[in-house]
Amino acid sequence: MNTIIEHLKSYNADFEYKINRTRKESYELFFVKGSLETVRNTDNCDREVTIYVTHGAYKGHSSFFVYPSTTEAELDRLIGQTIEKAALISNPDYALPAAQTGEYAIETNFTDYDAADLAAEIANTVFGANTLAVTSLNAVEVFINRITETVVNSNGLHKQQQRWTAMVEAIPTATEGGESVELYEQVNFNALDLESLGREIADKLSQAKARHDAKRLTVTGAPKVILNSQELMELFWNFADDLSYSAVYNHHSVYKKGDALQTAPEGDRLGITMAASYPGCAGSRAFDADGLALTRQRLVDGGIAVGCYGSNRFGQYLGEEPTGVLPILTLDPGTAEEAEFVTGPYLEVVSMSGIQTDFYADYVGGEIRLAYWHDGETVRPVTGVSISGKLSDVLNHIRFSKECALFGNYYGPKKAVIEGMNIF
Amino acid sequence: MSFSEFLQSRRADARALVTELKKTYDYVSVLGVDVKARTVSANNRLTNIASGMDTECGFVVKVAGDGVFYEYSLDDIRGDLGVLVDEIHRSFRFSKALQLKPIGIHDLSDEPLVKSFCRESDLDRYSEEQLLDYCKELRDRINAKSENLLNTSVGIYTMETSKLFVSENRELDQSYAWVNGMVSVIWRENDQTVQFGSGENEPTIAAVLEKLPGVVEEVLHTAHMLTTAKPMVPGEYDIVTDTHMTGLICHEAFGHGVEMDMFVKDRALAKEYVGKYVASPIVNMKDGAASCVSAGSYFFDDEGVLAGDTQIIKDGILVTGISDLSSALELGTAPTGNGRRESSRRKAYARMTNTFIEPGKDRLEDMIASIDHGYYVCECDNGMEDPKNWAIQCVAKYAIEIKDGKLTDNWFSPVIISGYVPDLLKSISMVSSDCKIVGAGMCGKGYKEWVRVSDGGPCVKARAKLG
Repeated sequence: MNTIIEHLKSYNADFEYKINRTRKESYELFFVKGSLETVRNTDNCDREVTIYVTHGAYKGHSSFFVYPSTTEAELDRLIGQTIEKAALISNPDYALPAAQTGEYAIETNFTDYDAADLAAEIANTVFGANTLAVTSLNAVEVFINRITETVVNSNGLHKQQQRWTAMVEAIPTATEGGESVELYEQVNFNALDLESLGREIADKLSQAKARHDAKRLTVTGAPKVILNSQELMELFWNFADDLSYSAVYNHHSVYKKGDALQTAPEGDRLGITMAASYPGCAGSRAFDADGLALTRQRLVDGGIAVGCYGSNRFGQYLGEEPTGVLPILTLDPGTAEEAEFVTGPYLEVVSMSGIQTDFYADYVGGEIRLAYWHDGETVRPVTGVSISGKLSDVLNHIRFSKECALFGNYYGPKKAVIEGMNIF
Repeated sequence: MSFSEFLQSRRADARALVTELKKTYDYVSVLGVDVKARTVSANNRLTNIASGMDTECGFVVKVAGDGVFYEYSLDDIRGDLGVLVDEIHRSFRFSKALQLKPIGIHDLSDEPLVKSFCRESDLDRYSEEQLLDYCKELRDRINAKSENLLNTSVGIYTMETSKLFVSENRELDQSYAWVNGMVSVIWRENDQTVQFGSGENEPTIAAVLEKLPGVVEEVLHTAHMLTTAKPMVPGEYDIVTDTHMTGLICHEAFGHGVEMDMFVKDRALAKEYVGKYVASPIVNMKDGAASCVSAGSYFFDDEGVLAGDTQIIKDGILVTGISDLSSALELGTAPTGNGRRESSRRKAYARMTNTFIEPGKDRLEDMIASIDHGYYVCECDNGMEDPKNWAIQCVAKYAIEIKDGKLTDNWFSPVIISGYVPDLLKSISMVSSDCKIVGAGMCGKGYKEWVRVSDGGPCVKARAKLG
């Protein structure tokens, strides 16, 4: 890093720069049908240099990577070439983040462990969660990552953060009577809570058994549908992406500040806030790739878009305060009592192939891999059905649970009830 | 283009490392990867010249020992060999607290072969300035065509790949390139805003630059028609898929299910169907890095196995799957050259390369004419595999209604094909004689491990559930 900085500083030209250094060390275990197949270690470091050239009212930037093989002479050549490339770019001018220094360690309890021991504890917990006779975990992967990110720029900004993350991918499978089905589970976290992890895997194994027993469903009318936190995460991240400064600036966005996401709300009012960190969330961080300190931002309040968020550059282009690229979406809890979720008939979604949304076509839908059909008297697992409906109707009538949950880079209601969906 | 100077400079280091580690382990290999990717683009508001997301440079050391595979990914293998070997030995461990046993590794084949491979390209004949000028000029020409355009984006993405594989008995190197060109627009009309794009993908920049303007009229017409599109009425219909959707179905609905590491893990229903009908007798399907020249083409895979051309379905019968080294070893089959890594930092799995249904004998016009009421389903958006249970979710950008054997002006968007894979594949009743393979795709395994692939084929007539 110091050599790169020295060469950038001593290069005889008028330009600004940023260096992103990312070191990723990982320890990974791969299991096939309960046996250890592969053990992996990685230790890699990327150094990307971005050069900014201001010409008139414009600014251009371009970048290159520095490898262990890059000699000092090559480094000078790369700097010179990249200055030329940056000068070809005529985008509106903006200022790089100002001088600021800091070292940050994202809160975790992983530092108490040796990576191999930590991965072993996690693997033992995952496999130990299987207590059903007809279920198994046919494939499991455990990743422990330590990521150290450093950002330096020519204004004197110099920041470093260290983040630990863990990822478990597990394939819960149920086999009975010669027939076998599976579900997919991926859990990301940065705080070890073996009890919660074990519970999560045990739930998925039970769901795999339910999928085994599931039948196709034929319903008439449009009963209410219960979505869980995974579907809520996928659905509402679409809105967060749409309200990013870059999407707004490039005319990719459908919504802008002041627009109503709920045009005639009859359910809970939407409230979305973007955040930098949340306890246990693997996405947590202190600053973004520009080194910009992350500032919590309210995006949607009372169903109305009240703000946007995003990078230093696009924030300045829009004349807004850059918030940094915030990694976590938090959704306000709702008002629905548990009783509202359990009065039938209703379809309780457990696993989907992925919820599909199209703002332009006012569409939401997807294929359901497992759901529970509550007809008011009995409950039975169902599969092989799809749902589709008008996104605007869903938003206007959605009711959220009071209870919240963390799922991936989402913290918000654990469940929501939607109406007016076609089930087919 | 030529083989990476960096990897060439590390060839002797790789050989020395293999020799040293072989004193301890039964099997040792070193893979070196150097990918230079760049992106040049222009839209109405911004221009860009940057490193591409595929850019990487590094090594992965793989050994078999203690009944498991060990891997170590690092940036460079040059330096004090003794220190490096000690570091690698130290990293190859698992905790005594682990309650699960090693799988047990059978003998790995390491057939002698020393060979260099190169697919010529023209990446070094075009500067970023030339590519940027091209993008800006085409963008301006497109913008002049309509006032409905809110934003127009033109981009060129190039990848120059070099790989070096060294084991005790093998020493292979390869270099090849791929180029993606893309035009996309944001279009506003009828109080609706839509986004649509299309591209060209070729081994050379010259071919992409020549062909890319040819997609413009189609992009603008599609964008215009999408503003008239209505929601699909869910139901089961006769459909004809365009080449993009044929490719997506082929890839998502069936391709993932014949990745043979999924056989080993008992994660694929296809394992039970080898030698049985899984599709209509007029369906033939292939996968292989050597099956055609496209985004998934290479000369040897990331485990040093030469590229294959695998017949997966022959006359509707499942013949075989595609394998990486360890799944082939476990199943006692020959590896098919499908062991691929997202990068030198990730594990190899059995992965698709270029996956497609082979052309048939029918004409698209006759296929459409044979339908009283149905849909021509076009342009893939995304899809999700379910190899264990053969459920489908394939999302198309749009479908055009067919009435009385003719295409209408009634467009529907978006459109989701769902259902059960064998039901869909067995319902295929016509296959067109033309075939296009689209090489702009990225494929994940589950929700990670992204590799570049192509897929495609002819148009097919089938019966499917649309929503």
